[in-house]
Amino acid sequence: MESVTQERPSTPPSIQSEPVPASHPVLPPKARSLIERFTHWSIERRVLAVFGLVFACIVVISAISYRNTTVLIENSRLDTKSHELLQLLGSVREALGTAESGHRRYLVTGDESYLTSYRTVVERMPEYLRYLRGMTNERAEQLNRVELLERLIARQLGAEADAIAQREKLGYEGVRHLALSGAAKNELEGIHGLMTELDSAEQRAILARVTQSAGSTNSTIVLLGLGALLQLVLLGSVYFLIHHDVTERRRVAAELHSRGELLEASNKELEAFSYSVSHDLRAPLRHIDGYAALLSKAAGASLNDKASRYLQTISGSAKQMGQLIDDLLVFSRMGRQDMLRTTVNLDQLVKTVLHDLRLDLQGRTISWTMHPLPGVSGDPAMLRQVFVNLISNALKFTATRPEAKIEIGVVRQSSVEVEVFVRDNGVGFDMQYVDKLFGVFQRLHRNDEFEGTGIGLANVRRIIHRHGGRTWAEGALNQGATFYFSLPLARSLK
Amino acid sequence: MTTVKPILLAEDNPRDAELALAAMEEHHIADKVVVCHDGAEVLDYLYCRGVFASRQQGNPVVVFLDLKMPKVDGLEVLKTIKSDANLRPIPVVMLTSSREERDLAQSYALGANAYVVKPVEFHQFITAVKELGVFWGVINEPPPECSDPIE
Repeated sequence: MESVTQERPSTPPSIQSEPVPASHPVLPPKARSLIERFTHWSIERRVLAVFGLVFACIVVISAISYRNTTVLIENSRLDTKSHELLQLLGSVREALGTAESGHRRYLVTGDESYLTSYRTVVERMPEYLRYLRGMTNERAEQLNRVELLERLIARQLGAEADAIAQREKLGYEGVRHLALSGAAKNELEGIHGLMTELDSAEQRAILARVTQSAGSTNSTIVLLGLGALLQLVLLGSVYFLIHHDVTERRRVAAELHSRGELLEASNKELEAFSYSVSHDLRAPLRHIDGYAALLSKAAGASLNDKASRYLQTISGSAKQMGQLIDDLLVFSRMGRQDMLRTTVNLDQLVKTVLHDLRLDLQGRTISWTMHPLPGVSGDPAMLRQVFVNLISNALKFTATRPEAKIEIGVVRQSSVEVEVFVRDNGVGFDMQYVDKLFGVFQRLHRNDEFEGTGIGLANVRRIIHRHGGRTWAEGALNQGATFYFSLPLARSLK
Repeated sequence: MTTVKPILLAEDNPRDAELALAAMEEHHIADKVVVCHDGAEVLDYLYCRGVFASRQQGNPVVVFLDLKMPKVDGLEVLKTIKSDANLRPIPVVMLTSSREERDLAQSYALGANAYVVKPVEFHQFITAVKELGVFWGVINEPPPECSDPIE
């Protein structure tokens, strides 16, 4: 990412996603294709990639630091042993010196008391040597030296023991030369050389470890610093992202709030509008109809057929507009009115609707087929309007049939919703206009064929949608129509 | 019917008033109707002041009240009538174009005796006004006028 911003510092983000120009000489093609892929990613993927990278770095740094620390701990353990070894070497040297001088004094004087210290050294020597072997840290080089040392010491002590035995047997004269030069002069030289070797080898090992420890300490410090930096970067970006997110959320919330207020205001306006529609627009219509009626009453006798038909048309149009306004108001009210949520018994509802429509049923031959309907969850008054509209429609469009057949039932019922249909054998409709059926003021028939304002089905759809259901229809010209709607079942009522 | 108690019609729209009168004409009760053109005039009539300072004393047999009127609207007039002990017994019929639930609820809450939506269709309108006039003006027995009985 860095290299991209370096290359094109002033490139706006929208163009940044374009591929890097192929002519660019600085980057190898592989890196370029990686950058290209990166710039094509969404912001989430980029954030994830960068976080993943930083996280991986932190993990690697932690692993290396852990290893370095283990090395330090191991080195310090080895150092302790090394120092113990050096100390022990000193003790051994001292003990051997004591043994040497003790046996020589005995050889000269024959005084037994000089042998006490010699014997103590001989007793303790195996123990010293065992410790020494343990301190070599299992390094073959040092271990070999210790083994050689053991052999030389054994030979020295053996030679001294022989000299003591000869002194006891032959007296001073027998061992005079031994007393002057020491019984194991050669061995002693070898031993001292070997011990110096041991000593210097150990010192070298210590020095090497000190160098190693210092190196790993330095690299650990650098790595930990880098890790801390990366973590800071990570923390910083997390803070930035959260801050960005929170700010964004606040902005969205504020916007939603202001939009809600706007919506409320426009709803209020709409309400005021429909109020004045209901009140003010109806008055002139009433006057048109009223004065037309008064005119026809006042001048009825003197009017010819044409004139009285004109008057009737004036009245009829006024009434129709009144009906339109009323229907439109109902439609608008259905959209904003608060909705009740209770269990509605659809069977009962249909019975009431049929009772209310009984005037329309007079003089008609209708064969009803009513299947049982379930209880649904919804607003009783609104659902009543749905059935009123659908049944009125069925009645209206079967008016030309000698026997109207109307069927109401359930198509399908799941655990949460039910699909209800209202079918008639009326004039039906052409399926190519099915999308227009539920629109406001959409009519598929001329007014002189069937009266209507084109609001009924729009209202049905609006009510069903507000209940969370769907509406659809099937039909064919002159073969009847079926209207369907779905509603949530009463069981799922919360 | 020896006493001619007036019907008070509060209607700001002269055409509506004329149509209402025409409807009442058919039942010969139009001459009993007093028309006021705004809420202030209604209150002047009821309190016998302004242009009605010299009218014959006594409450009308019924008040037909439009909701939307200039100066003082129908609901305010209704409120005044129903909060005055002397005027409270007068039957008040809201006669309006509004079918809004809010208006209905407010009117009844303030003590309206009836609420009638003016039909667009003239015949229905005539029938409605006629029946209202006949019911409240003729059939209904008005409350006794305790303060100032009429001969």
